[in-house]
Formats: sequence, structure tokens, C-alpha cells
Amino acid sequence: MAVVAIEMARTRKNEQFISVALATATCTLLGSGLPTPVDAQEEPSWNINTAAFYYGEDGGRVQDFSIKAIAERMFVDDRVLTLGLAIDALTGATPSGAIRLDVPQTLTQPSGNATKTVPAGEYPLDDTFRDIRVALTVNWQQPFGDTNLFNVGASLSKEYDYLHVGLNAKVARNFNKRNTTLSAGIAIARDQIDPEGGIPTPFSSMLDVGDLSNRLGTDSKDILDVVVGVSQVVSRNLVVQANYSYSYSDGYLNDPYRILSIGDSVSGDTIPRTPPPGVEGPSHEYIFESRPVERTKHSFYTQAKYYMNGKVLDASYRYMTDDWNIDSHTVNLRYRWPLGASKFLEPHLRLYSQNEAEFYRLSLVDGAALPAHASTDYRLGNFDAITLGAKYGWKTRSDNDMSIRVEWYQQSGSVPANLIIGNQAGRNNYPDLNALIVQFSYRFSR
Amino acid sequence: MSSRSPPRDISIRSLQQGWLGRFQAMGSPCELLCESRTRSAARQLTNLVAAEAWRVEDKFSRYLSGNVIDRINSAQGEPVLVDDETANLLDFADTLYELSNASFDITSGVMRQVWNFDGSDTLPSQEQVSRVLARVGWRKGRWVRPTLRLPADMEIDLGGLGKEYAVDSAVLILRGHTDTPCLVNFGGDLAVTGPPQQRAAWSVGVEGVAEGRADRMIELRAGALATSGDARRFLLKEGNRYSHILDPRTGWPVADAPNSVTVAADTCTQAGMISTLAMLRGADAEIFLDDQAEQYWCRR
Repeated sequence: MAVVAIEMARTRKNEQFISVALATATCTLLGSGLPTPVDAQEEPSWNINTAAFYYGEDGGRVQDFSIKAIAERMFVDDRVLTLGLAIDALTGATPSGAIRLDVPQTLTQPSGNATKTVPAGEYPLDDTFRDIRVALTVNWQQPFGDTNLFNVGASLSKEYDYLHVGLNAKVARNFNKRNTTLSAGIAIARDQIDPEGGIPTPFSSMLDVGDLSNRLGTDSKDILDVVVGVSQVVSRNLVVQANYSYSYSDGYLNDPYRILSIGDSVSGDTIPRTPPPGVEGPSHEYIFESRPVERTKHSFYTQAKYYMNGKVLDASYRYMTDDWNIDSHTVNLRYRWPLGASKFLEPHLRLYSQNEAEFYRLSLVDGAALPAHASTDYRLGNFDAITLGAKYGWKTRSDNDMSIRVEWYQQSGSVPANLIIGNQAGRNNYPDLNALIVQFSYRFSR
Repeated sequence: MSSRSPPRDISIRSLQQGWLGRFQAMGSPCELLCESRTRSAARQLTNLVAAEAWRVEDKFSRYLSGNVIDRINSAQGEPVLVDDETANLLDFADTLYELSNASFDITSGVMRQVWNFDGSDTLPSQEQVSRVLARVGWRKGRWVRPTLRLPADMEIDLGGLGKEYAVDSAVLILRGHTDTPCLVNFGGDLAVTGPPQQRAAWSVGVEGVAEGRADRMIELRAGALATSGDARRFLLKEGNRYSHILDPRTGWPVADAPNSVTVAADTCTQAGMISTLAMLRGADAEIFLDDQAEQYWCRR
């Protein structure tokens, strides 16, 4: 047969039979039977995750549409380059921090060049909030030896009034036949805040339109994060993880748009004021918030993943405490439930609870000495939140992954009784929040 | 043993999945990847593979004295009777000579006496080339199994197929000893005993033009991969890159050869020969490869 094939190869100009003749000759050379047929394919070099994300709060509050893409290039020896891009379009209104009143309120817009009047009984919202955020990340993973993995990364994000630049590094080391991994990471970031009209002086009054005498221009904050962790393979089914993280922020930690109402010491209602004739300005007394210039957080996190025949239960708990006297607890539960070979359903439940910061206030009292710091930010208040939803994922015909996630978020809080004065008691003082989260993801390789 | 041989020892280290056994043979770094349970099992398999690599090297290296190649090359025109394994390799080389229209020729090694591919601009003169070319040509010898008679000033060199042959031979030995999935890699020419158990496929990085940098990953579940290329060995003169692939019919480097050709085939020998023949076709490498049944990755 070899001879025939060689003859054919020689006579056929296109040489199609060389590999056939070679196969036969190799068989003879190796003196073996027929070899296993080759099965080789080029690995895709990029894994690309794309997602379209919607977050929408009810009552005309924050809406966020975003698209995200993460591209991952795998090299040999577990070296990985990861590039990320996210573009967010934010619209809607956020609570300004002023309390509700039974009369209309007029507030100067953050830009300082217009006013807005809020009907009686409604939350004063700041609806000038409209922004596009672009975020870029880059990360390089590099193994050192067989047991060490090193990661370095950088992040950059820009929105209209905000610039974030960050650097991070992480090292992980495997022990104990790879059943134990110790890791340590550090991240530093600088955020530059440049709000419309300039940063207001903390505790300065909201001024009339056109008066920017209390504005300071721009400011920044520096953030240092350190994390150390351990993960342990306990059995074939169980992997547990624990870590501690430390976060220190230093600099401008205020929300430049957030104000406090100055209330009457008896009625609790905001003190009215009248702008000079011919000038537009606030109808009541408001001052800009003031937070400490430092914040130190400590977080303890534990997670367990339990694998049962393709089903995965992922449970985690986080405790956070900081020097603003906020303590928070987060429980996260996910259960991945395979539906056949190529689909899954993953219900998700998250429970969150925190108490208020020591300087959280509903309002300030007219005539009383100013506290060292004060903020009405509902995110610094006493609240509970629940997230409930599910993700459904499937493989496409071209073997790519698609998923849709729908979640509902509800946040409800309360203002401690000792912070409520007079008429404030009859009103709902904490702006409850309901939001819908929808995410569509598609993962493919090229 | 020749003094140029590196120490013959093996090292074992653990990997994310399985073990990596390493040693030097045939002038190349050699590896065995295996999914053995224990280090000692991995060591045992690496010893088997290394023993076969060193056996093939000792028997067929043209640098060593006293082996069959040395006997043939120093026979001064006398016939040399060879053993079965050598005869099989000479039969195979004979077939390749036919298949390649004399461009694959195991007597072409002497051309290296005038061509020194060190990245420099030193080219030999046509006279030097012609002089050495007179000593090249498989058909100038007489091969009637099991006897080879070579003209006195000619030499053979099985370096062009020895590594691939050793890989296949080691795979056969491993299959006879264990069911543990293994990958045998001798200097970039490699074959697997079967698909790995702890993951979907063996992930093989193919070195690109830049030395030591794999820029293409191939998933291999069965069969073999071999790469021919001149990433490291070439001459540069007046902007022309002379590849180290010499055409034994002209004595000059093949023009416009690809930088590298990687071929996937059932055996490492097949993969290596297809990639070598493709390099020898120079500018027509892809045309040649398209006519073959094997998968290939060609880089220029």
C-alpha cells in the first residue's frame, strides 16, 4: 500500500497523498497498530463577557443604564490579561437631604444658578443629577513558581464631576497540596471631585442664586484598602473562605450636593427665610453637610460553597464596622440549580442591615451649637435592605453562555426617635427605596 | 558518552494538575506531563521516558562515537549492516526522500560545514556551496535493507526525524505501562497518550517568533503536534533573512520559508515530517499544507 501511495503522490501534482503515504510509512516505522486519531483545536485567545444592565429606582429616582465588557486574554502558564470597560448613563433624582414640610419649599440648585420648588408634603429631591460614567480597568495575572499567583491592576473612571484613579496588587500562595490558599492584596485610589459650581464649604448656608461665595472649587480623597484572606478546600464538596479587609479614606468624604434643614427647636419645621427683593433663593434655611475627613472600616467576610451533583450553594456573611459608628451585616445566599446539561436557574437572596452613623441627623436645630459633623444621607442612616431575584442561564447553539438576571431591591429605614423634633414625628422621614435590577449577559470567545 | 552531553538526571515538580518531569536530551529541554497520583509514580514514568530519549540519542546521535551513525559515517565506502530499528528509520528516510522529490535528504547534514546559522551576515561562496553539495545525495549511496553503503566523504544525520521518532516511541512505552494520561514533549515536538482526566484537553502553547513566548494555545486531546521553524536560527544579509532550512538540491536556504509551521497529526513523526516538508516548500508552504489532511498553523 505504501508503494502505491508513493506512486500516487509522485504522479499527482497536488501532492494530496503525501500525508497518506506518510501515515503508512510511520505505521511501519513505529511498528504499532493504527494510532489514535488526532484531536486538536486552537484555543480561543479571548474570552469576552458583555452585559447590559439596568437599575431603576421607583418614584423617578435614580436610573442607571450601563453596558459592560470584560475581555480576558489567556496566555500559557496561567498568565491572564483582563481589560474592562463600563459605560453608565445615570439619570433621575436623589434626596437632597432636606426634610418634608407641609408647605412648598424652594431650593437653590447645586449649580447655584437656578432654583427649584418642591410641592408641600414631598421629599425635596435633587433632580439635576444626570451623568455619563466611563470606567476602564486593566489587570495582569502572573504566576510565580507553581504556588504563587501575582495580580496587578489599574482602574480609571470618569464622570462629569468625578475622576477616579486606582492601582491594586494581590498575591496568593497555595499550600497543602493546593487545598489552602493565602492571599493578600492592597489597593490605593485617588478620587477627584469637581462638582458643578464648586464644592460648597461644609456647614455653609445654601445661598441665593448667583452667590457662589461659599464655594471652594475642587477637592479629593485618597483611599487605601488592604485585604488578607484564606480559602480552604475542606472536602470534595466544600470550599470555605474567610478574609479581613481594612479600608482607610482620607480627604473630602462629603456628598457636595447634600444639605440639612435647619429646624425650629419646638415644631421641627424648617426655618423660613426670604431672599432679597429681585433675587431668587431658598425659601428656608438649609446648610451643606459636613462629614469627618477620615473614615476607617474593618470588614470580616466568610463564605462557603457547597457542591452537590452540579448544584452549588453559595452562602456568605459580612460584618463591617467603622469609626463613624456604623455596623452592618450582610448575608448573601445563592443556589445554582442545573436544569439539564446546558441551563441553570440561580435564585439569590441578600439581606442587609445597618445602624446609623454617629453624625447622622434628620435636621439641625436653629439656635443650637453646630455638632462637629452632620449628614442626612439616607445611606448613612439606620436601614434594612433585601434583594430577591434569580438568574437564568443557558448555552447558545454556538456554545456561548447567556444569562438574564432579574432582581428586586427594597430598602426601608427609620430615623431614631431622639433625632425627631415636633411635627417631624408625624411624617415618614426616611426615604424608602424600591429598585428593579435587570441584567442580560453574554459570554463568548474569539 | 560525549563530553558535550548535559548531566542525565530528571527533576519532578508539581503542577496545578498533575506533575511535570524534566530532563535534557537530544540537545533540547524535554518534558513529561502526567496526571499521576503521586510524585513517585510521576518519577517512575519520567524515568521511562527519559531512558527512551537517551537511548535514541545515544544510538542515533551523529555527535557520538561508536554508535550506528558513527559506524556508517566512518565506513569509508564500505557497506554497513544495520539492526532492525536503524533499518526501519532508513526505510522511512528513503520514503521521505521519494515523497519530497529529494528535498528531505538525511545526507544533507554536511551542508552545515559551510552554513552557520548564527544570526550573522556571513554567507558562504557559491564555490564553497558547490563543493559541499557534491557530498550530498541519498541516491549516491546504496540502501538495500539491511545494508547501507555510503560514498567515503558522505555522512548521514537522522536529526531531522530522531526527536519526533523518540516522542512516538516514548508514547508507545508509556501506553504499555500505564493508563495515566501523559504528554511527552521533546523540545516542542510532542504527543499525548490520550485526553487528560482532570480537564478537557491538554493545553499546549506554541512558541511564536519571539523566543520563549507562546502566543497561540492549542487544545490537544489525542495525537501529536510538531513545529518547524527558524525563530532562532537564521542569517541576515542586506535585509534578507536566510532561513536555516537548506534545500539539499541547491545547497542554498529555501527562499521565503514561513517563520514557523505547526502541524497536528496522529503521531509526532507525521506531524514533524509534514511541517518539515512544508518549510522546504518555502513560499508554497501553505499550498502544500492545504493539500494535506492535517491541521496546521503557519506563521510568516
